[in-house]
Formats: sequence, C-alpha cells, structure tokens
Amino acid sequence: MDRTAYRQAGQRAKHARNALRNCRLCPRNCGVDRTAGHLGYCRLDDSNRCFREMLYCGEETGLNPSHQIYFAGCNLACEFCTVAEWNHCPQAAKKLNTEQLKLKIDQRKRQGAKTLNLLGGEPAVNLHGILELLAQLDCDTKVVWNSNMYYNGIVNDLTAGLVDVYLPDFKCGNADCAEKMLGAADYVEVVKQNILKAHRQGEIIVRHLLMPGHSDCCLKPILAWLAKEMPDVKLSLRADYVPPATAVASPPLYLEEEQRQAAVELAEDAGLNVIL
Amino acid sequence: MKNKTYKRKPGDFELRILADGRLVMVAPDESLLQIAKVLQPNNEKLSHQMKRGQLCPTHNR
Repeated sequence: MDRTAYRQAGQRAKHARNALRNCRLCPRNCGVDRTAGHLGYCRLDDSNRCFREMLYCGEETGLNPSHQIYFAGCNLACEFCTVAEWNHCPQAAKKLNTEQLKLKIDQRKRQGAKTLNLLGGEPAVNLHGILELLAQLDCDTKVVWNSNMYYNGIVNDLTAGLVDVYLPDFKCGNADCAEKMLGAADYVEVVKQNILKAHRQGEIIVRHLLMPGHSDCCLKPILAWLAKEMPDVKLSLRADYVPPATAVASPPLYLEEEQRQAAVELAEDAGLNVIL
Repeated sequence: MKNKTYKRKPGDFELRILADGRLVMVAPDESLLQIAKVLQPNNEKLSHQMKRGQLCPTHNR
C-alpha cells in the first residue's frame, strides 16, 4: 500500500460508509440507504460479511500463497458463479469483525501468505468494511483487488494507492452475453474504463474465464481490446469453468483442453503476455 | 429421489463425478483442498487442470 493512501484509509472508510446512505457504489445505482437497513441489488445493508478465509496456492504466479478473504454479496448475477449461494443470501455469512480478521491476517502471514486477496462475491460492494480493515493492517501488506470491476468511479478513488495488484475478472466481451449471463448489459463498457484506470494505478493481471462456445463473441473481442489498449498486460486465461447445474444462458459443457490451447494461441498471436 | 435439481445453500459443498472420471470440487475451502492434495499429491496447480481422470478444484465467480 502507498503510505499516503494508507494514512488516509480510515478517513476513506468513513467516506465510503457515508456513501451508503444513497448507495451508488456500482452502476446499479440503487440509491437505497444501506445504513438504514435497506438492501441494494447486492442484498447488503451496511454490514460487511465474510464467508471464508483461506490460504490458497492456485492464484497466478507471484501471488501465492495468497490469503483469500471472501466477502458475501455481489452486484452481478452470474449464472455460473460457484459461490452464488453466498450472494443470494449474504446474511447467512458472519459479520465482519475487523479485530478478529486482523489477527487471522497476521497468522496467515506467519504461515507464508505473500498477498492479501480481497474477493467474494464482490469486494467493491463491501468497500467501507474493507477500508476499515486496511486502515488497521501493516502498510507493507500486499493487497490484491480480485474484483469483477463493475463499479462506479468512487470505488476507484477510494481504493487508489491501497491496492498493489488489480486482478480484474473480464468475463464477457459483448453486451448481449453480459446481459444474459451476468445480468448487466453495460458491463463491458464499465469494466473497460475501470481496467484502464487500474492499469494506470498499479500492477494488473487481467483474468478471463474461458467458456465453451464463447470464443468469437467474448474471448476474441477481449483479446483485441487488450492488445490495443494495454499490450503489455499480464493475461490469465482460466480454464476452470464449471457449468451450472441448470444452465439457461451459460454453456452447459466443461471446457476441453484443446479449447484452452486454442485460446492461449489466439492470445499469443495477438501479442499478449499469457501467464499461469 | 426428488426430480428437482438441488441448489446449494450457504455452507454446502458440491462434488461432481463426471462421466469421464473427473472429480470436480466446486469452490472448495481449505479442508477440501487438503483432501484434494492427498488424493492427487503430484498435481501442484490443481485448479488449472482439466485433463481426463484428474481431480479439478474450481472457482468461477
């Protein structure tokens, strides 16, 4: 974390909490008063909830071992989400206790964690709790922002300098797929702007979850955009798509190894730096 | 058995055995990852593997 930003983290947390009174953290622009107990699209009030923390070694090279902290609640409705149950019912998760979590973070550091990985759900809709947490940590904590990047400018402003590595999930390459599979037709345009800002603010690894049948409509447009806008970016092509049990808009099949190899070749042909 | 598809509830974990022999752990926690390591100790990057007959812990969010 940047020292100046770190010193401001507590103040930024208060600002983020105030913003919940008329919540427009993300493009859903619900405008509800989360501090009064009203729930937004993310089904969250002003409490932050974590449903899992764990030390994980399956993240991209350089991030492992990574201390993952899963926040409940999300502003997308991805049909294929593997933790959707926590987003449908975030109140089932425990309320964030920053004191206890800080102790756990220290413990995980002693166990070898190199990075603190904020994910969910979606960290952006849990912003105030995350900022309150970061304000209590050591400044040298390496923070990974593992996000769908579907949020408004206030999130960029309040996280600037506090994030060491942005790990955006760039899911769909066109509005039609984004509307059908994520429930957000404006997803692609919003995420592009936020990825560009993240690229200017710090280290970034762009992730894309490969989905069977979505090479022409999603993978190729994303590769073309990255090659044009940030050809030096690290790109992680994830091959672990799990079809939902009752797929409606999402592919019903698993990705085959040949499809993964073809995707990597496409990315490399576009001049992109594909990492594991 | 009921005909209705089961939906995960908070706290549930889902394991799938595919027709080709793959065992898929959907969004495993640390305990399940330990089990995965025991079952397949030589596979260092389990989450990226989708080869036939292998065990594949996966996270898509």
